[in-house]
Amino acid sequence: MSKTRRSSKKRSLSKTRRPLLKLVIAALLGFALVLVYLDAKITATFTDKMWELPAKVYARPLELFVGANLAAEDFAYELEVLGYRKVNSVRNPGQVRQQGSRFDIYTRGFAFPGEREPARRLQVGLSGGKVRTLQGGGSDVDLLRLDPVQIGGIYPSHGEDRILVRLEEVPDTLRLGLLAVEDQNYYEHWGFSITGIARAALSNVRSGSVVAGGSTITQQLVKNYYLTPERTYIRKLTELLMAVLLDFHYSKEQILESYMNEVYLGQEGPRAIHGLGLAARHYFDTPLEQLGLHQQALLVGMIKGPSLYNPLRNPTRARERRNLVLDVMVEQEVISAEHAMVARAMPLGLNNQTRIRDTFPAYLDLVRRQLRQEYREEDLTTLGLSIFTSFDPILQRQVERSASAVLDQLDKGGELESATVVTRFDTGEVAALVGGRKVRYAGFNRALDAKRPAGSLLKPAVYLTALEQPRRYTLATPISDTPLEVEGPDDSIWSPNNFDRQPHGEVLLHRALANSYNLATARLGMELGINNVVEMLQRLGVEGYMPEVPALTLGAGEYSPMDMAAMYQSIAAGGFRMPLRSIRDIVDAHGEALRRYPLEYDRTVSLQAMHLLHYALREVVREGTGRGVYRYLDDDFAVAGKTGTTNDGRDSWFAGFSGDLLAVTWIGRDDNGGTGLTGSSGALKVWAHFMARASQRSLGYRMPDQMAPQWIDDSNGYVTGEGCPQARLMPFINGSEPKQRTNCSPRINGIKDWFQSLFGGDS
Amino acid sequence: MLDVTLVWRVGLIVLVTTVAGCSVYSVPGRQPAPVETRPDPTVVTPSSPPSVPPSPSEPVPQPPEPNASNAYGSLVLKAGQASAGGDYERALALLERAQRIDPDSAEVYLALAQTYAAKGDMSQARATAERGMLYCRSDAECRQLRALLN
Repeated sequence: MSKTRRSSKKRSLSKTRRPLLKLVIAALLGFALVLVYLDAKITATFTDKMWELPAKVYARPLELFVGANLAAEDFAYELEVLGYRKVNSVRNPGQVRQQGSRFDIYTRGFAFPGEREPARRLQVGLSGGKVRTLQGGGSDVDLLRLDPVQIGGIYPSHGEDRILVRLEEVPDTLRLGLLAVEDQNYYEHWGFSITGIARAALSNVRSGSVVAGGSTITQQLVKNYYLTPERTYIRKLTELLMAVLLDFHYSKEQILESYMNEVYLGQEGPRAIHGLGLAARHYFDTPLEQLGLHQQALLVGMIKGPSLYNPLRNPTRARERRNLVLDVMVEQEVISAEHAMVARAMPLGLNNQTRIRDTFPAYLDLVRRQLRQEYREEDLTTLGLSIFTSFDPILQRQVERSASAVLDQLDKGGELESATVVTRFDTGEVAALVGGRKVRYAGFNRALDAKRPAGSLLKPAVYLTALEQPRRYTLATPISDTPLEVEGPDDSIWSPNNFDRQPHGEVLLHRALANSYNLATARLGMELGINNVVEMLQRLGVEGYMPEVPALTLGAGEYSPMDMAAMYQSIAAGGFRMPLRSIRDIVDAHGEALRRYPLEYDRTVSLQAMHLLHYALREVVREGTGRGVYRYLDDDFAVAGKTGTTNDGRDSWFAGFSGDLLAVTWIGRDDNGGTGLTGSSGALKVWAHFMARASQRSLGYRMPDQMAPQWIDDSNGYVTGEGCPQARLMPFINGSEPKQRTNCSPRINGIKDWFQSLFGGDS
Repeated sequence: MLDVTLVWRVGLIVLVTTVAGCSVYSVPGRQPAPVETRPDPTVVTPSSPPSVPPSPSEPVPQPPEPNASNAYGSLVLKAGQASAGGDYERALALLERAQRIDPDSAEVYLALAQTYAAKGDMSQARATAERGMLYCRSDAECRQLRALLN
C-alpha cells in the first residue's frame, strides 16, 4: 500500500516541475527532522537525573557530651575546618564565639543516615581536655553530633562538582538579582528575546560597561549543557532552536532551577565549581539559603566571568563587579537603595577557613579502594552518594604533626619516608592515615602499597602459636637462644643472628619476646612448625602470600603498614579479628541508606593466650626493646607494642596499642636503602610522640576467665613465693603453672622482702 | 626515742625510689598523656619489682566514666525500643554509635550481644558478649555476658 502511495506522490511532484517549491519543501523537511532530533535530545536528557553528582566523602561527626575527651584547641580546629565563622554574637547556624575554653556555637544540623540532627545553639565548656558542660536552650544536653567535615569527593574525569538546589531554596533576592542582570525579560520571552538583546545593549551603554550579555538564561543553559563552546552561526542557530524547544516543553521554574545548578562559577584545582549551591559553600561556606545580600550579588556578578571576577584571586575587581550588580538590582527594584548601600559597605564575606577538602589523599585512597570492591567508578562519580567514614581530622592532624616532628629531627636530608596507620581497635575503624612525608600530595601511598619485610613485627605470631598450647608453653617456659643453621633451597644455609650478635642461652619465653631474640624465636617457630605460624598470621588477619620458610619467624615476606595494622588490630582487640573499616554508611542522593558496614567480631585466637601475649608486649615497652616509649608517655599509662628492624636498618617498624588506639608506623627509603635506624630509634619515636598526645585511655583489659597470676622465679621459671629472689608475677592459664618450685616460701610482707632481696638480705 | 630500723627503712625507700626512678624511666622531654584508667586489679603489669600483688578476689566494681552513660543511655534506650519493634538494623546502628562514645562499656556490649541474639545471629551474639567480657567490671555484668556465651 505504502509503495503505491509513495510512487504516486513522486509522480505528482515530478509533474509539477517547480524547483523552488521542491527546495523549500526539502528545506522544511530537513528543518523538521532537525527539530525532531533536537526535541528528542532535550526531552531525553532534561530530567531529574540530568546532573552527574560526585560522591561526597565525610569524616566522622564529632560527638559532644559531658565527659567527652576534647581539648579546646582541638575543638577550635574541628570548628575551623567545618568552616564555622567566628563572630562576636552568635545568631545563625554555622557561627561560633570562643572565649578561652568556652564555646558559644550555633550548629548547622545535619541529616545523618537514620536520624536528623537539628541545628541548635549550644554553650560548651571545656577544661582539662574534657567537655565539662553542655547546654542548649537553658538546659543540659546529653548528646549531639556536629555536622561532619566533608573531606573529599569522588569526581568524574571532567571534574564537575555541584550541590543540587531546589528553586524554593534560593533566596528571592538572589533569583531576582540573577534575572535582573542576566535576563530581565525571562518570564515573558519564548526562550530567546530580541527585546532582551536590545535592552541589554541599552543597559550596557547606560552603565558605561558590559553588564549584561544578549543571551537569555534559556540560551545560556542550552549552550552550557548541550553544546560545545565554539562560536559559529550554525551553533548559534541550534542554540536558539533548542532554547525555544526547551521553553516550549518546560516551565520557566524548571529551566531556571536547572540553570542555577548548571552555571559554572570557578575552579579549584581539577574540581569545577558548578551551580549556586556549591558556589555558596565554596566561596562563603554558607548554605545558599543563608547568604547575605552582598554575597548573593557577588555570585550573580561572577557568572559573567568566574575567573575574571574570582574574589579569591581578584578581590578588587570582584568587589567592583558586585557593587555594579547591586546597582542593577536597585534599578530593577529588586532591593531598596538602602539595602544596597549596606551591602556595598560589606566586605566580600569570603570564608577564610583552612581548606581541608581533598587534602588527605592517603585516606581518600583507602576509602576509594574499599568502595571499588562494591561500586562501579561511574556510580561513584554520578549518583550523588554520601559516604560516611571513620576519618578523624583531629587524630589525623596529630599523627601528621608527630610524623613530621620526628622525621624532621631524624632526617634533615629528606630521604626517609614514613607511613602510619591509626585505628580505633574496639571498632576496627581506621581513624587516620599517613602515606608519606608529603601528606598533601597524592601519589605513592606507602601505608597501603609499600611492601616490606616486617622484621620482628611478625614475632608475636610465633609466640602466640606457642601460648595457645598451654601444656607445652607458658610465659615462663625456658627456650633456647643458641645459634642454629637451617638448610634452604640450592644448598643455601640460613643462620640468623641476634641483634647484639650474642646467643643468650636458656631464656624464659616472655623475655625472648621482650628482648626480641632472633635465635630463640626462630627455634621456637621451627619447633611449632612454620605452617602453624603462617596459619596464626592468617587468623590474625594478614592476607596475601607468606613464605613458608624459617625466616618467616623473623619477618620474611612483603607486608604493607596496613597489613601489619590488620594483624595488630586483632592483637589489640584481644583476639578478635575484624576487617579494618574506613566506611560506616553509604547514603544515596535522596538520603536513603544504601549500605551500612556493621561491626562484626570474629574471635580467632584464644582469649587466654592473647592475654599472655599482651603481658609480653607490655614487657617489651617496660623492659625490652621498646622501653623508649616511656620517654614520651607517663609511667602509669599502660601500652603494649613491638619494635621491628630489618637487615641493614632498611626498615624501622613499630606497632602497638594503648586502651583506645592502635598505631603502626614504618620508616624507610623508597629506594630500599639503609636508614641507619632500628625500630626503636625510628618508628617508635613517631608512635610514642603520637600516642602521648592522642591516646585517651590506658590499656586495661580484664583478665579472662580460667587464668590467675603466679609468682615465678625469673631466673629459672620455677614457681616461687612473693618476695623471693627474682620473683616476678606473671599470668598463667589455669593448670599450666610450672611444676617445679623454688624452696623459697611466700612471705607476708612483699615490700620488705623485695628490699631484702635487692640488698642481698637473708633469703 | 628513735627507732633505728624505722630510720633505716625510710632511708632505703627514699634511696631506692630515687635510683629506680632515675635509672629506668625518668628521661627528660617526657610528655604527659592524659590518663583515664579502669585497671583490672588482677592484671599483672610487667615492670621492675615490686610487682602488684595478685588479688585473690574477682575484680572490684568501678564506676563508669563520669557521665558517659548519660550520653549513650538514650541511644541504648532507643535501641531497645527499635529491637522490640523488630528493627534490629536500626538498633545495631544506634548501639554502634553508643559503643563509639564509650568503647569500653560492658553495658553496651551486652546490649549489642542481646540484639544480635534477638535477631537470631547467635555467633555474633556470642562473639560480642565474649569481647564485652574483656571490659566487664562487676560480677553482675560479667555474669550477664557469660550467660550469652552458651
